[in-house]
Amino acid sequence: MRKTWIVLLLLLNGCQIRTLNPHSQVAGDQAMLIYLSFAIMIVVMAVVFILLFRFAWKYKQTAKNKDDVPEEINSNKRLEITWTLFPVLLLAILAIPTVMITYQVSPKTTNEADSTAAGEGAIHIQVTAERFDWTFTYENGRQSDQLVLPVNEQAVLHLQSEDVIHSFWVPELGGKQDVIPGKEILFKVTPDKTGTFLGKCAEFCGVNHALMTFDTNVLHNQAYQTWLQGK
Amino acid sequence: MTLSIWDNVLYMPGDVIAAWILMLLIGPILLLWLFKTKKWPIVWEYMRTTNHRKIGTMNVLFGFLFFLRGGVDALLMRTQLAVPENNFWLFQGDKYNEVFSTHGTMMIFFAAMPLLIGLMNIVVPLQIGAGDLAFPFLNAVSFWMFLAGGMLFNMAFFLDSSPNAGWTAYTPLSTDTYTQTEGNDYYIFALQVSGLGTTLTAVNMIVTILRHRAPGMKLNRMPLFPWATLVTSFLILVAFPVLTIALSLLMFDRLFDTSFFSGEAGNPVYWQHLFWIFGHPEVYILALPAFGIFSDVISTFSRKKVFGYTAMVLSLCLIGFLGFMVWAHHMFTVGLGPMANTFFAITTMMIAIPTGIKVFNWLFTMRNGVVRFTVPMLFALAFIPTFVMGGVTGVMLSVAAADMQFHDTHFVVAHFHYTIIGSTILGIFAGIYYWYPKITGRLLDRRLGLWHLGLFITGFHLTFFIMHITGLNGMPRRTYTYQWGENLFVFNFISTIGAFLMGVGMAVFVWNIIRTWRSGNHAEADPWQGRTLEWSVPSPSPEHPFTQMPVIDQRDAFWYAKQEKRRLLIQKQPRPSPIAVKTIQPLCIGLILLLLSLAMIYQWWILAVLSSVLVLAMFLLRTWRDERIKTIREEVTDE
Repeated sequence: MRKTWIVLLLLLNGCQIRTLNPHSQVAGDQAMLIYLSFAIMIVVMAVVFILLFRFAWKYKQTAKNKDDVPEEINSNKRLEITWTLFPVLLLAILAIPTVMITYQVSPKTTNEADSTAAGEGAIHIQVTAERFDWTFTYENGRQSDQLVLPVNEQAVLHLQSEDVIHSFWVPELGGKQDVIPGKEILFKVTPDKTGTFLGKCAEFCGVNHALMTFDTNVLHNQAYQTWLQGK
Repeated sequence: MTLSIWDNVLYMPGDVIAAWILMLLIGPILLLWLFKTKKWPIVWEYMRTTNHRKIGTMNVLFGFLFFLRGGVDALLMRTQLAVPENNFWLFQGDKYNEVFSTHGTMMIFFAAMPLLIGLMNIVVPLQIGAGDLAFPFLNAVSFWMFLAGGMLFNMAFFLDSSPNAGWTAYTPLSTDTYTQTEGNDYYIFALQVSGLGTTLTAVNMIVTILRHRAPGMKLNRMPLFPWATLVTSFLILVAFPVLTIALSLLMFDRLFDTSFFSGEAGNPVYWQHLFWIFGHPEVYILALPAFGIFSDVISTFSRKKVFGYTAMVLSLCLIGFLGFMVWAHHMFTVGLGPMANTFFAITTMMIAIPTGIKVFNWLFTMRNGVVRFTVPMLFALAFIPTFVMGGVTGVMLSVAAADMQFHDTHFVVAHFHYTIIGSTILGIFAGIYYWYPKITGRLLDRRLGLWHLGLFITGFHLTFFIMHITGLNGMPRRTYTYQWGENLFVFNFISTIGAFLMGVGMAVFVWNIIRTWRSGNHAEADPWQGRTLEWSVPSPSPEHPFTQMPVIDQRDAFWYAKQEKRRLLIQKQPRPSPIAVKTIQPLCIGLILLLLSLAMIYQWWILAVLSSVLVLAMFLLRTWRDERIKTIREEVTDE
């Protein structure tokens, strides 16, 4: 099974894993957390795997020890304290960035946060999810079924659902955020590279849930303005 | 397929018709075989039994049948997902949604739960020296309730109204505004009826373990499987009523136009809270008994008592306790705010600590021991790395900010299959191989067991390891298709191959059972050189196992007595054990509840009222009868 992990590492290098190929600050932070937690967990797994294989191999029944009755050991304070405190330490290393980044990226509903505070001069886009389509309404009234964003500018997405719960997800831009009926949720994103990404609904919403996708275009500012004026 | 029957045009999907045909073929063959081999007295016997081993065996049997059904669903899903933009048979859109909803519900409530409860039923009384469960009649009622729920849930498929809102049935999708067909009503009532049975089992287990232990068996001398059962039963007792409430509210929303989960007054997120306040402890309800099984198996086959017994018990309790404080980690993307997200991230991470303690204790139980590679032990050895991989992805998921990427993707699917199959299902297999002699008096074949293990584990890792990658690469769960350009094809294809390998592994297991049944090794009372009390009674365990009640002077007393070549002391006047009765009432209660559920689902109110009155009457009838009075009177006259 350790071999499979090596294969995984190779695969991670070999092809572009979308969540690990971030195009925004938030997605970058999340990718960092994924790598960090993965690295810490590799340590845990290595310890367990080595002990398991060693013990199973070394103490396996042979013709010689077939009738042995091993000495009984109740417990061992030192060892037990070690494997209680060692995970605490590892988790503490993981918990600190978790708390910091979670505080930054957890979105708020409009009731709590006044939208003006959500960045001066940010672009506001109304995102409406309705089975099984996404509609994006821009500040000048333009409606589109694709999400177009200018690079390096903060966009505030106002997520709203017309019917059931959906979830807004573009892996490269970070996320995801559930879209809940009767509630407007703000999702802030600042893309830092241009590109075209596939967005999906990530909360099961019914018959054609699998087809509820949209394209995301991150454009240079000029191209964005042209697009915005266009029909 | 469209059928026209008389004047009605009836639409039936091909898979339902295929299932009907299969049933119409198998049914008569089964009946014929029962007649030919004159098995009816045995069937009649099992229909009326209140014996713990027989009820446990039926739990295992039907749980395993439903497990196969859920497995077929899994194979159908994997076939549809094998290649991008696939159109396999008719498993797209709503049909696919029905299949995964059924798969999840079936596996959790009608496969994993009864299989574990079955093993508890069979083994726990034997391990603690109890004659039977404390309330044998109630035990039978629990079983027939589970079966009524399971049958109801399967009926939905045969009537082409399977639930289609996922096993989590998130509102508002699961309300009648968005899913009008009866499917989700079936879901509600099937879970309600079987859940009630589970709750009653928990009460029964708690009383049995607290009141019916052999003399001298203090709680700190009890083996770890009964301990795990005790903790699990408390979890059930707290968690299942929450499910009952949630389902009742959903029922009112669907049938009586209330709006708990939608509209101005209601809120769809309430459902998620209620469901996960039940749902997360449920995960530990599935895992803890498996931990108990592995503790016993590893200790027996390392020829050592379990390392750090006290720490093992404490971490069981701690996991159970923390299990109630983490439910919102299923809801990191709902937008509960930074405070809730970090709180639940930290509590979730904390669970890793007692779980880690357990893993290290298992490892150090093997250290300096004599490790025998029997089939149950090999399942335990496969469990440790598999479960640890599920555990570490669990910690990765607890990182709230990162979870927003993982959430609702195949990464999560991989995670929970690693934990649930890794612990529960492997634990059940280990338990079945280990205790098979106590159930049937025979030993399962070792060679076939090794094939079963090898195929199942290889297939499992192929199927689910890959899903970590597809999930990270943007594949949401519960989608029936993906596009060619998404770089997901090869991974999904390998995953499908793995799933079929698991299927082959299960076929080997079924073959193993059939072969053992026809020409298996007869097992002696103690085939594994066991340590606990169940190995001191004959195989299969008799109806009254402890006619001579042993006195327990230490943990694993049976093992040390064997070492010192002496017999366990016998208590002259044991506590009276629960009295077995033969009664058809529990089965009738199950049937009436089935009828009541159907009446509610199709809103036949008169029938609903009649059957509710009838079921109440059945319980009242039982309340006024007490078989102990007769037995005690007989005993008095004997003296």
